[in-house]
Amino acid sequence: MEQRLGNTWRMTVNERKFIESALLSGLRIDGRDPYDYRTLSVKFGSEDGSAEVHLGQTRVLAYVTSQLVQPYRDRPNEGTLSVYTEFSPMADPSFEPGRPGETAVELGRVIDRGLRESMAIDTESLCILSGKLVWAIRIDLHIVDHGGNLIDAANVAALAALLTFRRPECTVGGENGEEVVIHPPEAREPLPLTIHHLPIAVTFALFDDEGTLVIDPTHLEEAVMGGRMTATLNTNGDVCAIQKAGGVAVPPSVIRHCLRIAATKAGDMTSKIKEAVDAYNRDRALQKIKRHPFPASVNARLAGTHMGEKQKKSEPPIHKGDGLKQMAVGISSHITKDRECKMQSTRGNSHIDGISNSFVGTPSSWDPYSKGVDTELLKLSLASQASSKPSEKQEEVQPDTRSFEAKPQAVPEETKEPSRAIQPARSHTQSKGERTLLDAVKPKNKRKKKASTMDGR
Amino acid sequence: METPGFIDQPVVPGDVVMDLSKMSNQTIKIGGGLRQDSDLISVVKAGKLRFSKPNKYWVETSQKRYVPCVEDAILGIVVDTRADNFLIDIKGPAIGFLPVLAFEGGSRRNIPKFEPGTLIYVRVVKANPGTNPELSCTDASGRAAEFGPLKEGFMFECTTGLSRMLLSSPTCPVLEEFGKKLSFEIAVGLNGRVWVNAASPSTIIVVSNAIMKSESLSGTQQRIMAQKLLERIQ
Repeated sequence: MEQRLGNTWRMTVNERKFIESALLSGLRIDGRDPYDYRTLSVKFGSEDGSAEVHLGQTRVLAYVTSQLVQPYRDRPNEGTLSVYTEFSPMADPSFEPGRPGETAVELGRVIDRGLRESMAIDTESLCILSGKLVWAIRIDLHIVDHGGNLIDAANVAALAALLTFRRPECTVGGENGEEVVIHPPEAREPLPLTIHHLPIAVTFALFDDEGTLVIDPTHLEEAVMGGRMTATLNTNGDVCAIQKAGGVAVPPSVIRHCLRIAATKAGDMTSKIKEAVDAYNRDRALQKIKRHPFPASVNARLAGTHMGEKQKKSEPPIHKGDGLKQMAVGISSHITKDRECKMQSTRGNSHIDGISNSFVGTPSSWDPYSKGVDTELLKLSLASQASSKPSEKQEEVQPDTRSFEAKPQAVPEETKEPSRAIQPARSHTQSKGERTLLDAVKPKNKRKKKASTMDGR
Repeated sequence: METPGFIDQPVVPGDVVMDLSKMSNQTIKIGGGLRQDSDLISVVKAGKLRFSKPNKYWVETSQKRYVPCVEDAILGIVVDTRADNFLIDIKGPAIGFLPVLAFEGGSRRNIPKFEPGTLIYVRVVKANPGTNPELSCTDASGRAAEFGPLKEGFMFECTTGLSRMLLSSPTCPVLEEFGKKLSFEIAVGLNGRVWVNAASPSTIIVVSNAIMKSESLSGTQQRIMAQKLLERIQ
């Protein structure tokens, strides 16, 4: 029992009294004004839809991913949005791993309400096939360091991630209008979400003596405060959500006062977020125009690469299927920087994707490597598309098996072409934005080569 | 001595800094971070090797966690009271015990009452790995010597390296600069806690924040920072 006591954070009577008395004279322990925010910095990860926010000492990561699912029965035309929170134990001594605690659930709910009730994200544009297929957007928030005011920081992170998230474009076609074609990023540029406005959460810490309130409390101020209120507003002055869960009572005039202050703060935050997102988009666009020379091949690396990925490369970029049967498998569209076709028929393959990214194989190189086709994976993919186009799959299988036999001959071929293909050394982060004209051309080449190999064998 | 090369240099675990068989026979005292293997003294913790005349050697590191060491003056927080001990949190691996009689003139009749959350300036009497360290509010001769509860003021946490810097002599530049213009008192615990008190809250806030930022600054940078802050508040 005493051993455990040694690890928790404790507050002294001195700190508590000092913070309260300093606040009476309008002083905060870090020297800020009562209505000042700490320095906010928004950084983006290598993937679309990932953001990291630092608000003073508080750090939050947000990731946005999407998936095709069946819509809710009472809303057949709308996509769905869900928010998940993870309070990492490294953020604070009081966070325990496992099920989210009360504060974690509250944080998720506040952010969810701000986005959902105000309809910040246009969910109708996420509908592909009414009643059958819609995009489900999932926001994951990870708290990495708890320096106070997690709600505001997490909200900014979620918004930044949503603004930079891109989902694959899909078209509906086919005889009965039920065939959905999901285009990989190389074929068609992925689309951003339609976001109407940015709901910004502003948290106020209320103290026992009426009238004392501060914005953006630090960890110490949160330990001393009597209550907390979060107001979510956008730049237009619309109140999207208010959260006041227990704590010290305040008269309505104070609440109105808080809303007025929050409106100005929301404007500031929105411009900061937009600046950061614009800078990121500019960088991304610039990277697309850059051209890169092909680095030398690294054969040894290829030998060890997981073969399952190679099999995916042999699949055509187009994924066809009947709506409902597809959904049973839950095609994940969490697509990252890969240049190759990353259509995966099972959910769990996002890991493997990470490795397959590095392989930017050109037509000639995929042949020797599709040798080690993962038959399990192949069967799964075939099963998931059972109702559709089995013939096409057969076609693919055949060149694979043929090239399997041809592999020993193909290997020396491959070594002669170091300049062409392999960039396994390419890191995950790099390949994200680096797309050249060659990439746009590649899929056609692949198909041609496939035909030629089939002929050749 | 064979070790002049190592003194005040960064060392890593595994470095052998001394060979007793080669030295003239003198007793040396080794402190934290050093270990004796028969005749060899080797380093077990990464840090800087320090030497103090006539014969003390130890390794200094700056970290957030405190490892209790005998004769350290530290700031503890009262957690609970037992029949014969106060339980004190000292930012170490185990809770410290402060005997209720370990005060100047302490007897069963005048046991002080500390509420949980009281900040106390104590001295480490016994510290062995795995056991709860024993503390005391008197110095070795039994006098109070400034130990005891600290009232008012503000406390913040820092690294052990910063605490040592604040206690070094000559006076740390940031404290010196502030001391020229402002009047304040501080108590520095070697366990990474600092208490600051002054007449006005703004002084306390300025001094605390300046100290928190000064660990990585050189002497001149500290002075410049202190002067800029002083201009702003006056």
